[in-house]
Amino acid sequence: MNLSAKQQLKNFIDKALASQADRGAYTDDEALFSSGRLDSFSMMNLVMYLEQTFAIDFSSTGFDIDLVDSIDAIESLVDIQALAR
Amino acid sequence: MNVSSPPLAGGRAAGKGWRQALAIDERDAWIAHAQTGAGRMLLLLAAMAAVVPHFGVWTGVLAAAAAMGAVVWPARRTAILFAATWLSAGLNTALGEVDTVANIRLVFVQESVDPSLAPLLALASLSVLFIASFAALRYVRHAPQSLLARRPLLVLLAFEALLCVAGGAGLLHGWPRVLVWSAVFVFTPYLWFLPFAIADLRSRTPSPLPLQVAVLRPYWSPAYLPFGKGAAFLRKHLSKTPRELAVTQLKAIKLLVWANLLWALLALLRWLFDKRMAVPEVDRAIDAFLAGQPYPRALAWAAIVLAAARYALQVAVWAHLFIGIARLAGYRLPRGSWRPLEARTLMDYFNRFHYYFKELLVDLFFMPTFFRVFKNHPRLRMFFATFMAAGVGNALWHFTRNIDVVASTGLASASTSYTSYLFYAALLAVGVGLSQVRANMGLRPATTPLARAASFVFVWSFVIGIHVFGDGSRSHTLTERLQFMAALLGASP
Repeated sequence: MNLSAKQQLKNFIDKALASQADRGAYTDDEALFSSGRLDSFSMMNLVMYLEQTFAIDFSSTGFDIDLVDSIDAIESLVDIQALAR
Repeated sequence: MNVSSPPLAGGRAAGKGWRQALAIDERDAWIAHAQTGAGRMLLLLAAMAAVVPHFGVWTGVLAAAAAMGAVVWPARRTAILFAATWLSAGLNTALGEVDTVANIRLVFVQESVDPSLAPLLALASLSVLFIASFAALRYVRHAPQSLLARRPLLVLLAFEALLCVAGGAGLLHGWPRVLVWSAVFVFTPYLWFLPFAIADLRSRTPSPLPLQVAVLRPYWSPAYLPFGKGAAFLRKHLSKTPRELAVTQLKAIKLLVWANLLWALLALLRWLFDKRMAVPEVDRAIDAFLAGQPYPRALAWAAIVLAAARYALQVAVWAHLFIGIARLAGYRLPRGSWRPLEARTLMDYFNRFHYYFKELLVDLFFMPTFFRVFKNHPRLRMFFATFMAAGVGNALWHFTRNIDVVASTGLASASTSYTSYLFYAALLAVGVGLSQVRANMGLRPATTPLARAASFVFVWSFVIGIHVFGDGSRSHTLTERLQFMAALLGASP
């Protein structure tokens, strides 16, 4: 994932956190969903964002919350998918 | 569909005096004592006292002892879990604590075969199921691209349907029919556990096979619903430090005590309203209405409100007992029912009221739908996936939950008498689906006291209003229930 794409992803996460009145900082390896900071709507919105932006097809890879739980996990997912194509 | 989980503690930060008094899991002295031999013995006795009235002596003692055994001998956790689960399955079957033997006996009687063999046949069928489950999971591990591995629920439902048709279409008689229905009754609960095991086996870090088989209808919840989901979820929620373990066990005792308090409240409601105030059951209220001698409208409404309240309490009692025992075994599981009266939206209600049922529907119906259809129509995609879970999945689960009706009345009659529940599931699904779409559009209820009150009235009016269609009774048709509700709402004479 290049720097610009990663920044876009962070902006998306910032917006999702802000929509839940959460303006606290987070680290790249911090669990965002399993910790409860982001809810299921944000997860579904994130899934749609990843599908559209990075052409990730969860119906073929299978979905697990761990795949999108942190910035690092998402970055790894995007990189693996890019390599597979 | 909400995939977030209720908190482990299930409570707000302890701010009030009585909350602080009950917060034994936050006190260092209690946490330290819970890690000693004497402390564990006390926890074990408290847990046994809390579960035996509900589970029965043998299975209650076994469940509490196995949970504590797994904590005392962590190296043998899987072995204890495995032994307790299958011993408990055998005991529950043999002692009639689950409905398997009663259902098999019914088919014996239908086929004029000696029904005294029913317990033996149930145990034999359970043994076959045990071997078949092991074999199926081994197969999935070796063939991760097979149809069973990729579409476990579809394959298992098809197998169930095949057995039901074989047993219910008049093709078989005598022993063959008894054997088929025996297989159905024993297999049906596991239908909702096996997909979690199969999904875990296909993951990047699967749990070992013995653990997968050990949590098929685990000893803490001999139910049709996977309380604690599967091995992957349990692994993720296992306490990691001695302190965390002690806190989890103290929370377990609190939850078990709470379950018993709710059980007492349920008994009080029954005594006060059913016995003393003679509020009728909903079925009786509908009977009276159909006979042209309806109860006063207020009394009929009271019957519906009480039925919904009783149902909510029953769900909470059993969920707390099941999760309480799992927590005693060290699993930091979210509560099964978490302050449903505080639900702000229908979707929030669905998540709070019956968390593990919602999780089952999310994992087995919502997710597969969401990731496959209407990808270019976000709102429709969300609504449809929610409908498949809260409507289709909900209806399917409840139909299999009472699969004995198919054996006793036939497939056609069982389907016809199910239309009321289908209607209920459709209403609930539309309600939860719209709630989901609204939330996804950023429309969330305000947090003012007035808005909270309005949310409460809306959510619970809806829940109580549709409960009359989904109370599980098959004694009245959808039309009769609609007429009854129309009369209550003043829409018919």
